[in-house]
Amino acid sequence: MMQRAQTTLTHPSDPPAARPGPKPAGASVNSNPAENRAAASLPVVLPGVAPTDVHPEVDAETHILTVDNFKLAYGKRQTLHGINMKIAGGKVTALIGPSGCGKSTLLRSMNRLNDLVDGVKIEGDMRFKGQSIYDRNVDVIDLRKKLGMVFQKSNPFPMSIFENVVYALRIAGERSNARLDEVCAKSLKSAALWEEVKDRLHSSAFGLSGGQQQRLCIARAIAAEPEVLLMDEPCSALDPIATQKVEELIYELRGKYTVVIVTHNMHQAARCSDYTAFMYMGRIIEYGPTEAIFVRPHLKETEAYVTGRFG
Amino acid sequence: MSLTAISKRKNTKARIISGFMYSLCVIFTGFILSLLLWVVGYLIKIGWQSVTVAFFTQVQIPYGAEGYPGGMLNGLLGTLVLVGMAAVVGIPIGMLAGIFLSEYGANSKLSSPVRFVADVLAGVPSIVVGILGYELLVVPIGNYNGWAGALTLAFIMVPIVARTTEEMLRLVPHSYREASIALGATKARTILRVVVPSAAGSLITGVMLALARVAGETAPLLFTALGSRLLTVNPNQPFPSLTKQIYDYATGPYEAQKRMAWAGILVLISLIFVFNLSVRLIARSKHGTA
Repeated sequence: MMQRAQTTLTHPSDPPAARPGPKPAGASVNSNPAENRAAASLPVVLPGVAPTDVHPEVDAETHILTVDNFKLAYGKRQTLHGINMKIAGGKVTALIGPSGCGKSTLLRSMNRLNDLVDGVKIEGDMRFKGQSIYDRNVDVIDLRKKLGMVFQKSNPFPMSIFENVVYALRIAGERSNARLDEVCAKSLKSAALWEEVKDRLHSSAFGLSGGQQQRLCIARAIAAEPEVLLMDEPCSALDPIATQKVEELIYELRGKYTVVIVTHNMHQAARCSDYTAFMYMGRIIEYGPTEAIFVRPHLKETEAYVTGRFG
Repeated sequence: MSLTAISKRKNTKARIISGFMYSLCVIFTGFILSLLLWVVGYLIKIGWQSVTVAFFTQVQIPYGAEGYPGGMLNGLLGTLVLVGMAAVVGIPIGMLAGIFLSEYGANSKLSSPVRFVADVLAGVPSIVVGILGYELLVVPIGNYNGWAGALTLAFIMVPIVARTTEEMLRLVPHSYREASIALGATKARTILRVVVPSAAGSLITGVMLALARVAGETAPLLFTALGSRLLTVNPNQPFPSLTKQIYDYATGPYEAQKRMAWAGILVLISLIFVFNLSVRLIARSKHGTA
């Protein structure tokens, strides 16, 4: 099923400045991959796709989040070079790419978590439901409530399971115990953790296993009633069984929430996402329906990465 | 020589070094522990007989008067009140400074001068702080008083509490702060609800150390609270303290008072120990850490 390139790809190691400019939009997306491969002379150079290049299927969706020529630098290190991306509402979008390609940075920019880092310089903007995320007047607190985050390493607070889940409500000033109980139960059920913890809601969250802790963090994020869930390699510290549970959970969350997930695991992206963006060196190289990215990638670089031959 | 023989010889060497280092650790730990036990044991041996009911129920009675030598109730009560007052002033200021240094310090030009001043203040001999207290709080008022004693002790506490608070808050994983911020909490709420409670156990330990330190101070009180033979908690007047009383008794000529001084030391150390232990136990049961 998977097409394999016959020739060995040379890993592009030349600096970004040395590369030719982006190709015109649409040129590579609509062309036959075989032709594309024949046309490209080896070694293949990046980026092959213009930043404005949007897959027609992605374009046809209702977008909840739009990234407009977004650039980010940590001090002098340019981490993101003009990202353009539209994220479909109610779907699962995976960001894949080798370590250091900027996918986590992109994810963390979506709810302005990079604000906490010193020396971050940002150009361009992102829009959440049409509203600018980086505008001066944006209420960052409110924004972060709408774009919840699940981190790579599960990070429950040193409190009881219950207090962890209702944290967002507590800080919002919710006093009603009935409401807290209700949201706690609902969120834990959504995170497929309720049955395992319902008898020990008031014991420490640290008594849970790694997989349970990660699902607790998902429940905690869900309890804030976000519209988007940003997941930064949520399974990288979990064993296969716990990973499977979290993946099933992500699958169930689609529709109710928009999920953007960063993952190093190709199979995970293939299993649980609707759309996949392949990033490399701070650029989006190819973005489209997950099946297309994994089965019929347009670019050699994407194919090489998803088949595990580089990265 | 076969490979197994080489690895065996290396193994033996590694084992000998490891064993040697381990025994060094055991020896020195034992040495420190036995020193501590020796001091405490000596104290108990000498002081124990004078820790009587009268010690806790009577004030000091001068030589020759009926009931001599009395007890140390005035000093004991005085120290508790002084330390309590110092804590009320010193802990909030010190903790807030520590929170500032740890949580807001990175983006502030103030942080490194504040840290430097705190370090210098922590190293100032307490007698110097006592003279400062005398100049600022005794001379203008006109007489030795309890306020001056308490504020001087608070002054000693602040840098200790500030620096330990800073160190302890820095140990709280950054991921807690991130998670809280990502859930829409403000920085202040994150600090109050997540960062400080996570470090509660060690913060309490830091505060305890500062309290224990000032509870044992004598020099700054010589110039400020002065001490009193009376059972008084009126901070406008010269104020009694256990340490000052111990100092007077230990340097005085009377045998009965010297024994009483030993008892006073024993009681002071036990107080600090029990206080420390109970607060730790409370912290543990409440936060699951300590």
